[in-house]
Amino acid sequence: MTLELLEGSEAIAASAIAAGCRFFAGYPMSPFTGLLENMSRQLPLAGGVCLNAESEIEGVNMTLGAAAAGARAATGSCGQGIALMQEAIAEAALNETPFVVFNMARNQQDYFQATRGGGWGDYRTITLAPKDVPEAVEHVQLAFHLADKHRAPVIFYGDPLLAQTRIGVSVRPLDFGPLPPKDWALDGTGGGTGGSRQVWTWAMGKATDPGPGPDRHWRAIAEKFAAIDAIESRSEQAHVEDAETLVVAFGSAAKFVEYVVEELRADGHRIGWFRPVTLWPFPGEALAAATADVRRVLVFELNAGQMLDDVRIHAADRSAVRFIGGVSIAESGLAYGELMDAPVIRDRIRTALSEGGRS
Amino acid sequence: MERELVVTGVGGQGIQLLAKTLALAATREGRHAMLSADYGGEMRGGPSKASVVIGDRPLRALPVLASAWSAIVAHHRFSEPALARLRPGGPAILNLPLVDPASLPAMTVYGVDAAAVAKSVEAPQAIGFVLLGAYNAVTRLVDPASLVAAMQELLPPYRRQHAAANARALAAGAAALDVPGADLTEVSR
Repeated sequence: MTLELLEGSEAIAASAIAAGCRFFAGYPMSPFTGLLENMSRQLPLAGGVCLNAESEIEGVNMTLGAAAAGARAATGSCGQGIALMQEAIAEAALNETPFVVFNMARNQQDYFQATRGGGWGDYRTITLAPKDVPEAVEHVQLAFHLADKHRAPVIFYGDPLLAQTRIGVSVRPLDFGPLPPKDWALDGTGGGTGGSRQVWTWAMGKATDPGPGPDRHWRAIAEKFAAIDAIESRSEQAHVEDAETLVVAFGSAAKFVEYVVEELRADGHRIGWFRPVTLWPFPGEALAAATADVRRVLVFELNAGQMLDDVRIHAADRSAVRFIGGVSIAESGLAYGELMDAPVIRDRIRTALSEGGRS
Repeated sequence: MERELVVTGVGGQGIQLLAKTLALAATREGRHAMLSADYGGEMRGGPSKASVVIGDRPLRALPVLASAWSAIVAHHRFSEPALARLRPGGPAILNLPLVDPASLPAMTVYGVDAAAVAKSVEAPQAIGFVLLGAYNAVTRLVDPASLVAAMQELLPPYRRQHAAANARALAAGAAALDVPGADLTEVSR
């Protein structure tokens, strides 16, 4: 396996194209800009189209259109721009249009945005949060697969470290199994009287084919997301079997936590880590099992406490949960602040270890 | 074994290019490499820092290094945070006379007057490559020929005219540190 030294944005773009993405539209905003630049370079060479849209709203709606026509399509921004895209993402979730939204976020403050559904209606967005560039390469392709599998928008939650770190990686197409045909796509093959297709949030159909209507349609959508919740959660954990303390973190922060936990174990601490790989569906059952016998559940994230809510919901004993993260932004406002650093995380965990826990 | 290098200096010294050259050279040798860059908007004079990690297996190191084995210190300005993370005993290549060897008391220090060496081989713009050549002579992290090939690969078409001078700078940097005790082969692999 030959490794290429690729910047994260470059590797993510290459992986999207390897997954068959042939349409990409977005508006520049650091640290997403690198992905847009790389897609604009690489996608035309693969026979695809990359558009620098006039705004995030136009970018996401162009993507919705391309996806409705059956293309593997994606858009992206950072959390600030994805806030603008929420209406279209909600529409896509409710009218079952699959595409991928790359949140090349500036930090971890978009957890609620990604996992709660920022628009209207009863939906969630599958959210993948890779811990490093090699995993990001895999998650990009998994995101397109899950979008097509469930006919739903999927969020890839990246960050400045994933966007800008250069590392040796190998990008090749990954096979996640068979997918249903896109026989719903508005690809021009269903023409003729009565033969046209609809992708419509309200599912009211047409005179010759009334459609289920919003009540039945939205109940079906709600059932679909409940089914996704039941089968698509992913997580990783280590040292749970003897841990008195479990540290929960996601994305890049989880890689830092894993590093620190291994050091603390080498110092003799009985400590483990747990990482939600999907932020939604949140791996609640796995977390409940992992926290059954621990004295402390420490939550580290670079925000004021967002995943903390999900940990409190699912931990075996919520009174054991302590927050050791916090808001931490670089002076530029474009990247992580000083909290994303192994020595700082080690200090916070050590302090929590000295404060006792449930007996 | 993973080896970490932090490179610190100011914009214009070639910090980013030398770090990228080392990371690419290792990658082309079939090894694992990671490069993290940290610099401001200033083209010249502002803080410029990079870190490179090289290993024979998938890397454990974080993109923000918790600690580092070695350093190239091209300028004393802005260097303090990077130097504070060095593990004692590792090699540090200092750009003389800009950097005071006494600022790194715990390291195995090698000084090179990069500007003078670069001038002596008519490559005055290539002090970064002098420092990289010196670093690699001490650490033997990659084959010197891999550095030259990586440097050539990274040059955009409109900079190809600098390839020969850059190669001279790499070689001159290595020669400048061809001194007794400079062989760290044992600890570098």
